[in-house]
Amino acid sequence: MRLEFCWFCSSKIYPGHGIQFVRNDAKIFRFCRSKCHKNFKMKRNPRKVKWTKAYRRLHGKDMTKDSTFELERKRNRPERYDRNVMENTLKAIKKIDKIRHDRAADHIAQRWKPKAAKERREARKELEQSISLIKAPLAIQSQEPAITVPKIKVKAPKQQTVEDQLMEE
Amino acid sequence: MAQYDFKKITVVPTGNDLIDIVLSRTQRQTPTVIHKGNAISRVRQFYMRKVKFTETNFTDKLSKTIEDFPRVEDIHPFYGDLLHVLYNKDHYKLALGQLNTARNLIKRIREDYVKLLKYGDSLYRCKSLKRAALGRMCTVTKRIGPSLAYLEHVRQHMARLPSINTGAPTILICGCPNVGKSSFLNKITRADVEVQPYAFTTKSLFVGHTDYKYLRYQVIDTPGLLDRPLEDRNIIEMCSVTALVNLHAAILFFLDLSGSCGYSISQQAALFHSIKMMFRNNPVLIVCNKTDLQTLEGLSGEDLKLVMEMKSAALKTIPGQGGEAANDQDVLLTMSTITDEGVMAVKNAACQRLLDQRSERKMKSKKMPTVLNRFHVAMPKPRDQKERPVCIPQAVLEARAEEAAHEERKTEKDIENENGGAGVYSASLRKHYILADDDWKLDILPEFLDGHNVYDFIDPDILQRVEELEREETAVEEDGGDFEMEDEDFTAEAEKDLQEIRKRKKLLIQKHRIKKSTAESRPTVPRKFDKDRKFTTERMGRQLSSLGIDPSRAIERARSRSVSRKGRKRERSVGGDGEDVMEIDGGLDNKKKLRLRSRSMSVLSQRPLGEVVPGEGFKDSAQKMKAVTMARNATKKRNKDARRGEADRVIPTLRPKHLFSGKRSIGKTDRR
Repeated sequence: MRLEFCWFCSSKIYPGHGIQFVRNDAKIFRFCRSKCHKNFKMKRNPRKVKWTKAYRRLHGKDMTKDSTFELERKRNRPERYDRNVMENTLKAIKKIDKIRHDRAADHIAQRWKPKAAKERREARKELEQSISLIKAPLAIQSQEPAITVPKIKVKAPKQQTVEDQLMEE
Repeated sequence: MAQYDFKKITVVPTGNDLIDIVLSRTQRQTPTVIHKGNAISRVRQFYMRKVKFTETNFTDKLSKTIEDFPRVEDIHPFYGDLLHVLYNKDHYKLALGQLNTARNLIKRIREDYVKLLKYGDSLYRCKSLKRAALGRMCTVTKRIGPSLAYLEHVRQHMARLPSINTGAPTILICGCPNVGKSSFLNKITRADVEVQPYAFTTKSLFVGHTDYKYLRYQVIDTPGLLDRPLEDRNIIEMCSVTALVNLHAAILFFLDLSGSCGYSISQQAALFHSIKMMFRNNPVLIVCNKTDLQTLEGLSGEDLKLVMEMKSAALKTIPGQGGEAANDQDVLLTMSTITDEGVMAVKNAACQRLLDQRSERKMKSKKMPTVLNRFHVAMPKPRDQKERPVCIPQAVLEARAEEAAHEERKTEKDIENENGGAGVYSASLRKHYILADDDWKLDILPEFLDGHNVYDFIDPDILQRVEELEREETAVEEDGGDFEMEDEDFTAEAEKDLQEIRKRKKLLIQKHRIKKSTAESRPTVPRKFDKDRKFTTERMGRQLSSLGIDPSRAIERARSRSVSRKGRKRERSVGGDGEDVMEIDGGLDNKKKLRLRSRSMSVLSQRPLGEVVPGEGFKDSAQKMKAVTMARNATKKRNKDARRGEADRVIPTLRPKHLFSGKRSIGKTDRR
């Protein structure tokens, strides 16, 4: 028994689930559920479908390169059974799993970091620019003479006097 | 020597049936249409064909029947006699003779009428001739009707006769009625003959088959015989007599010692003596049945004497013909069919006697030497008295001994068989694993853990590598987490301001949206025509103070410059002295105007209806009047008075064209 990965969404396929498709060139495609199978039949590229692991890794949303991945490798040659090795392996799996999980979480947190700074900058700018909505420049000036509110120049329409009208004629 | 098969005789139709069959055949199989206008030769041909065809059919069917039925002289005398007994040879022959005559008559008729038809001159005459011919043939057939019926009856009975092979070795069972002949037959063969306590249960011959020394014997059971002269015998008894006389078989005469059949031993003995003529050169055995009721030893002296007489008579077979009894024992036998005691002995004795006789006969016949010449069994004579036993080489003997010694090794198969066989026990393949420590052989190996394949992680120095990993992790942590932002957070006041700003922005957007949606249904009036009195100095004052500015000066200024105080400036048009349309105030004082305006809400009637108020958005008086009328019309109460309303069904077109004209693709247009 082996846990395989779904070709489309890269999720684990437990025994008793999913469908395997063998193509004429003997390549095996395993699917975890009919959603993935149907997407495959529609010839969709998993690298373009947002919810798949392939997309996420490609677009840097999930961690791709890590030393923990090297410890898990498909071995084709069977090893002779050794109880101690097995014990150690079982313990190790748990630790590796935890480390990998933490690192992945870090990666995602790292992605979110710039957002806070950006928001702060934007808020600061907004505060500066739109303060006139709640406080009149005069008030600000009177309160804090240090701050100079930018003067807004408005072009006033020229009042046509009688002389001017006569002039036009 | 042959096996006769009376089942193959074709069914004999009755007279009327035969006529029907032949005439309908004629009608179907010959052309039916002929006209007066056809050439006379054609007409003649047509009718001649019919006559010939009919004759052929009659002849065929009658010939078939005549040939199918066996000729009494030609068949084996047993069957001949049997047929005579059952059906009366004369009657049988007569019937067949009648058929023959009929056949010839029909042939004659056909010849005559064909000759006449050759000279028929008209259609009618030919037709009449044909009718006459056919009619006569049918009459002939009708006359032989009874014969046909009789022959059909005979055929049905013959088909049910037992198939007796006259050449095969046969055993015949005869005796008085109810002595136990049929039960004996049931015992030695697979025949299932009815056995009942009343006499003449068996009414005809029954055949069974049995085996002895790789030969198949026929056993024939006959109906019981009574001691009567031959002439007085009935048909059933005649059957058994026929069998006795004509068949070459071993005869078993059954004797009932107890007399429970209803006939005493003397009567049975009398019967025996009367029919012993018929035995001729057949081997005879006397079988005493029902010994469970009365044994041979227990008989009275007289009866015993009678039995001995019978035995001596039986011994007197013609010498040289074979079948002589080897000893007395073979002639007189006792048995009981109920207890099965002696049944097999009787059968064996009978078969043996018959076999002996037949073999002797064969030996004496002319064919024997030709058979004997074909094979020769060689018996070599011993050369000297030396013994020559079997010879096995020493090596082979040793190997055999070794193999016998080696039997102790227990195979997996043996273990399997011990523990319940193939389906129950499954061999443990782990037993022979080669591991560093034998305790590990029976370990349970997990395949998955937490969603990972365990076998993918197996590594002898995995712990080392995990330790390295952990060291990495701690190093990274100590390094210092994030690079903190340089900006500090906002102060509380700044936060509040920010929120205010955002709220204000939202409000603006909302107002704009409302304005946008209402712009479609309301006229956009410039601000100076402020109908709802929104733009007041109080409002301005409030807004300014919320912004943080002191409004008093602004309010003063606004009020000083308001239109109501100052009066509006006249605006003259460019060319000439046009009347000022926009002049509102005539000679009214400003204050008065104010009062007017302030009371406008309650004094609507003072203002004429069509007067244009600047803030409403009407172009001129006409437009306003139109609007007023439309509003009135919309609010009018309709006078329903039980008349048809909007909700009542209305047929817009009472006679639509598509229903009242044109053809229909399906259906009628009777009703429109």
